[in-house]
Amino acid sequence: MSTRLQHVKKTFDGFQALKGIDLTIEDGEFVAIVGPSGCGKTTLLRLIAGFETPTEGSIYMNDELVANANNSMPPEKRNLGMVFQAFALWPHMKVKEQVAFPLKYHRFVTSSLHKNKTKRVEEMLSLVGLQDFAERMPGDLSGGQKQRVAIARALAPSPALLLMDEPLSSLDAKLRIELRNEIQTIHRKTNTSIVYVTHDQSEALAMADKIVVMNNGKIEQIGTPKEIYFTPKTEFVAKFIGKANVLNGKWRENYFFPLKDETVKWQIPDITEDMKRQSKCPIRPEQLTLSKKGNGIPGGVRNVLFQGREIHFTVDTGTNTIDVIESIHASFQVGDRVVVLPK
Amino acid sequence: MTQVVTPETITKKGFSMKMMKRLIGLTSLLLIILLFLLPIVRLFVMSFKHNDQFSLINYTIILAEASTWSMLQNTLIVVVGSTLFALLLGVGTAWVMAYTDIRWKKVIQIFIIIPFVIPSYIVTIAWSQFANSIDVIDIHLNSHLGIIFVLGISHYPLVYLFTVTVLKRIPKELEWAVRSSGGSSWVAFKRVTIPLALPGIVGGGMIVFLSNLDNFGIPAILGIPANITVLSTAIYQEVIGFGPNAFARAATLSVLLALVAFVGTGLQWFLLRKSKLSETASIDESPRYILGKRRKWLEIPLWIFLLGISIVPLLSMVKTSLIRAYGLDFIRENITLKHYQYVLFEYDKVLQSMGTSLKLALITTFICAVFGTMIAYIRSRKNSSIMRFVEVIVGLPYALPGMVMALSMIFAWMQPIPGWNPGLYGTAWILLIAYITRFMILQVRGSMTAISQVSIDLEEAAHLFGASTFVKWKTILLPLLLSGIVSGAFLVLLTTLTELTVSSLLWSSGTETIGIVIYNFEQAGYTTHSSALSVVILGLMLLLALIVYGIQYWWKRRLSKG
Repeated sequence: MSTRLQHVKKTFDGFQALKGIDLTIEDGEFVAIVGPSGCGKTTLLRLIAGFETPTEGSIYMNDELVANANNSMPPEKRNLGMVFQAFALWPHMKVKEQVAFPLKYHRFVTSSLHKNKTKRVEEMLSLVGLQDFAERMPGDLSGGQKQRVAIARALAPSPALLLMDEPLSSLDAKLRIELRNEIQTIHRKTNTSIVYVTHDQSEALAMADKIVVMNNGKIEQIGTPKEIYFTPKTEFVAKFIGKANVLNGKWRENYFFPLKDETVKWQIPDITEDMKRQSKCPIRPEQLTLSKKGNGIPGGVRNVLFQGREIHFTVDTGTNTIDVIESIHASFQVGDRVVVLPK
Repeated sequence: MTQVVTPETITKKGFSMKMMKRLIGLTSLLLIILLFLLPIVRLFVMSFKHNDQFSLINYTIILAEASTWSMLQNTLIVVVGSTLFALLLGVGTAWVMAYTDIRWKKVIQIFIIIPFVIPSYIVTIAWSQFANSIDVIDIHLNSHLGIIFVLGISHYPLVYLFTVTVLKRIPKELEWAVRSSGGSSWVAFKRVTIPLALPGIVGGGMIVFLSNLDNFGIPAILGIPANITVLSTAIYQEVIGFGPNAFARAATLSVLLALVAFVGTGLQWFLLRKSKLSETASIDESPRYILGKRRKWLEIPLWIFLLGISIVPLLSMVKTSLIRAYGLDFIRENITLKHYQYVLFEYDKVLQSMGTSLKLALITTFICAVFGTMIAYIRSRKNSSIMRFVEVIVGLPYALPGMVMALSMIFAWMQPIPGWNPGLYGTAWILLIAYITRFMILQVRGSMTAISQVSIDLEEAAHLFGASTFVKWKTILLPLLLSGIVSGAFLVLLTTLTELTVSSLLWSSGTETIGIVIYNFEQAGYTTHSSALSVVILGLMLLLALIVYGIQYWWKRRLSKG
């Protein structure tokens, strides 16, 4: 199913949570919506689910209008599945009852799934590796297991669109990585369209076909993970996704002059025209190196953070600070005078 | 792009739905205003009417009478005194229960709450019997001090309940932070515990203040014979006395009483608003002051206090109910069951009143459970200014002193529309309407607590996975809310069953309630009969409590079994 949002705006008590969103989710696509908290990503998801009504604009599913300012089709009439941030497992139902619930009530369930509920429940539970937990109550499950039940429940009716609201945020780091792989595998197996909301840029980069970066109720950039990471169009995207330094300076074609007196000249390819027009150069810490001298920005080492695989340096240039990631062989100390160069 | 459904078509369909919803909402709002707010407004207006003209004359006359001022003075002494007494007992017990490692806390809690659960007129009868049975000293309960004492005993559990959760919510770490910064445990108590607990303590104090002001049974039984009149008994006597201008005078006194109560409610709201912060902190049950072996020196006096306050007076009452004639010694020859026989089988008003009270209580409970839960649901899920307004209005008849509320019911339903008398006053219907409007808020609060524990996610998930509103209530909400709704309903049931204040103004011959019959026995001097009936009622309440507890236990087990 394809989902299309047209000029969608949403206002809560005078606060504009969404300031005009245009977005299409194609059939079978895995779209990650990423942004800091309060950027409107959860509101966007709730609009698609049908828990909120847009203040302006319209939402179409398979070219059928499902919501505009005057009306909204209720969630139960949309062909959706959803994994909630806090799982939203019903505390009084067994695992198998949770998964059977949509099979019983979802109006888009095919008649064969509806008839073979028990088989479908088993199938879903084994898909998430919980076949032995069918009789358990949610209170008896660990966080990761609850998450898997939530996923199994969302997938059981074979929805045309699966919504996931920060589904991994309440889990610990190790489990997050594990379930990340699992969700990707499930997406490949079922080929359901997925809208995945997260504030974790690495989650978005790792899993999605398409990333939507949001900030302040607006879309900053839409693109593949590689496009977003390597060619950010705005300062915000560069900083939020690539953790990049954004330097001010002058551009002449592919040459960047970070200092006012133009004594330093770097050749940097693949910077978007949008950034050049703003006289800005996004550059990620791992694209930089430190040296005792050379054609770079002079400064003093302020912090040295040993990370095992690499060392994170912060360099104070007098006007701002620049983050640099170096190999563990770099041997600069706090207070050293250095120059920052592109690798 | 082909659009299967155009915006116009769904807009049309939706428009009628929207209109429909709005219409239902508006009608309900109007109904709530008519039922809950209008009677109070009419009472207020009534107090300014003299010979069908607006004037302040009712106030000038009443405030010019010396008896008014002595009555107001009595009210002040009794209410302030009993509030301070209740605060002392309540905060003390709360501190011990929250912070020390004494044993049997669950049982102790039940004993603390007993005097609050038992209707205050029964507590009063019990204490009168107890005071009479002590020969060594002459305890005179028919006095200011006596009223203060019994009011305090009846209401200190409120302070306790308020304070104990506040104390438990104060994070231990805050006290530890004082200790690690060099402060002694006394400094921690003085600078951290007390300031943080204060809003809760004062909030509890205000509720007790209102309860003391509202109470009718205690000052009626103890005060009227000794000529100590307070506001609530004054209104009662005005109405019962049927003097010239009785209703207008009673209305004027009611406005005075309501004024005091409103100042109290406002103060409570103001103080509790500040304490909101600590509600986010979780409850910490672990003891903070380990007494170890020394704890028995705290436990023994505490048990003596609790048994002395909660149980011994009841035993005195049982003793009175078994004695052949009032004043005889409690020896084998004098023991008889004839009072029970009389109240249960010979005096037909008793069984009749039990039937009336039970019927009224059951219908009230049912109606409150349905509509109260509906209001609670909409209020919880839709925090709009209209719903906040609805909550305030529905709470008004309960916030007002019962006597005021009862009087407003008479005015409102004697002639709902000028010239039309539906004949409700003088029948059981006026009692039913009064009970429903007065106790609705208890159910709303109970259901709101239950609803607040069900995350909205769970409902959204139900909708998303295909449930209609009906299926959602059936499969998700009712199973999760039932226990909370039943708790609220049980409170409504018990309160209605033994209600006295509102009933005392609204009853008529043939519609006596349990409270009225006991009160009338007591007023007429049939102490043995009032004692016997009180014992029967306590038994009935215990039975109901066991049934409800059993249902909840069974339901929880069924839930956890799946």
